[in-house]
Amino acid sequence: MQIGLDGGEYSWVLNLVFFAFIMIMSLYGQKIQMWQWLKQIEAGLIELKRMAIESRQSAIDTFKEHGTEEEEVAKEIDRWLDYFTIMPVDLDPAGILKRLDHLLDQRRDRFQEFVTDLTPDASNSERMNLENTLEVTQVLSLIFRIVRHFYLLGKKTGSTIMVMQVQMIMPELLRLAKAYSDAMDAFSQGKPIGDGIGPLVVTKLAREYDATPETYVHEVTKEVGYYPIEVEGRTVYAMRATGPGGTVGKPGFAVKKIVEDNKGKIARIITVDAALKLEGEEMGRVSEGTGAAIGDPGPEKHAIEQAATDNQIGIEAIVVKEDEAAAVGVLDKRVLDSLPEVIDRIKIAIRKRTKPGDKIILVGIGNTIGIGL
Amino acid sequence: MGIISKILGVVLTASGALILTHAMDPNVGSLSFVLFVVGLLVMSVGFGLLTAGKQKKEVKASLPTVTEIRCNGCDFKEIRDYEKGDYILKPLEMKCPKCSGKMTIEGVYVVREEPDKDRF
Repeated sequence: MQIGLDGGEYSWVLNLVFFAFIMIMSLYGQKIQMWQWLKQIEAGLIELKRMAIESRQSAIDTFKEHGTEEEEVAKEIDRWLDYFTIMPVDLDPAGILKRLDHLLDQRRDRFQEFVTDLTPDASNSERMNLENTLEVTQVLSLIFRIVRHFYLLGKKTGSTIMVMQVQMIMPELLRLAKAYSDAMDAFSQGKPIGDGIGPLVVTKLAREYDATPETYVHEVTKEVGYYPIEVEGRTVYAMRATGPGGTVGKPGFAVKKIVEDNKGKIARIITVDAALKLEGEEMGRVSEGTGAAIGDPGPEKHAIEQAATDNQIGIEAIVVKEDEAAAVGVLDKRVLDSLPEVIDRIKIAIRKRTKPGDKIILVGIGNTIGIGL
Repeated sequence: MGIISKILGVVLTASGALILTHAMDPNVGSLSFVLFVVGLLVMSVGFGLLTAGKQKKEVKASLPTVTEIRCNGCDFKEIRDYEKGDYILKPLEMKCPKCSGKMTIEGVYVVREEPDKDRF
């Protein structure tokens, strides 16, 4: 066999092929790489588009169950899909949280108005679930439109850095979009989701101490109330958003209000929430720490921290670890099975870090969809 | 189209392999390296055709949601398929078949598969 470069009368062919390869790769290597990246983004975009279209259809089907014509629902939802909220100016940060809170309230009011106009006969709980369904559809549509924007822009300008970044972040975006896409079923049908573990823990604990839906004090702040219970000689305000409709309410401001109403008497604030687990950690693992476990854009968490700091109240958090798919999808059995441990840890915190006669705020943070009072 | 391209793929792969074998024959002389390159090319085209085409995506059926009902008075527990309108802590009209006590929905959940444990 003679494959060497200097043997045989046809060796020039191999030399030619070799040099042609070097020339092509040095001149067009980056273009070939770009083409590959664009093809990979294209494949992801097809998947994102499918999820966006399916969630839109699912939202239309859910809304039309309440009597509105499909064409009208589709037209209104399409109008609503690119509804936006302009974040407050941060060049002058003073009072930014107040302004952000105001904008979030306004946004929420517009969502409620939209859903009420489209489903006048739906119950309050159903409307809350429909709001959640609409939000998921919006998220999926937004992810698709943003990725498409950078794909087309990268293609148009030939910007390697833009295309490369989108290609690299694509698996994570697809994972997030898939989590929301899978969650559509939960939101449209009103099933409990993993994020609701906080309110569920609070209600289960409150029921152990004879609380009932009738003893629940409604509307301390928007869609948030509490069960007043006695735990081993302490008064506990077991607080959560109202269910079983899907809402998170305004728990931070509810904590602030209870602290102000009981000036100097609150000894401890305990927050319970779902938290994103790290890869490799067990689903449903219970962890505890210091601080306010609440994942809002800022105003609610700030309200809790400020109330605790101003009044020198101890603040602690107990979280249940979940991944994104479990947090926004139907409640996972392993997360539900963590309930007894969370309740035990709350009891230990109450027993060890407060004394009889103290007042405590226990607040379950999360979406109450599918979780009754 | 699918079957034709697969057959063509098999034929080309086999031809490529034959050309490669022939190229290794010492009697071929100076043409051997050209045959070697051609054999590799034909074989790679054959493999390409064999593996080309969209792989059918395995469509995962969505996990069934179940509702867990418990008796408020005894340890009776029942698990059934989720029905629209079910929510956790919903009091039910039905009576416990064991003690005729009131029953409540204690859980609405899915059982997801445990992923394979990583070495770490």
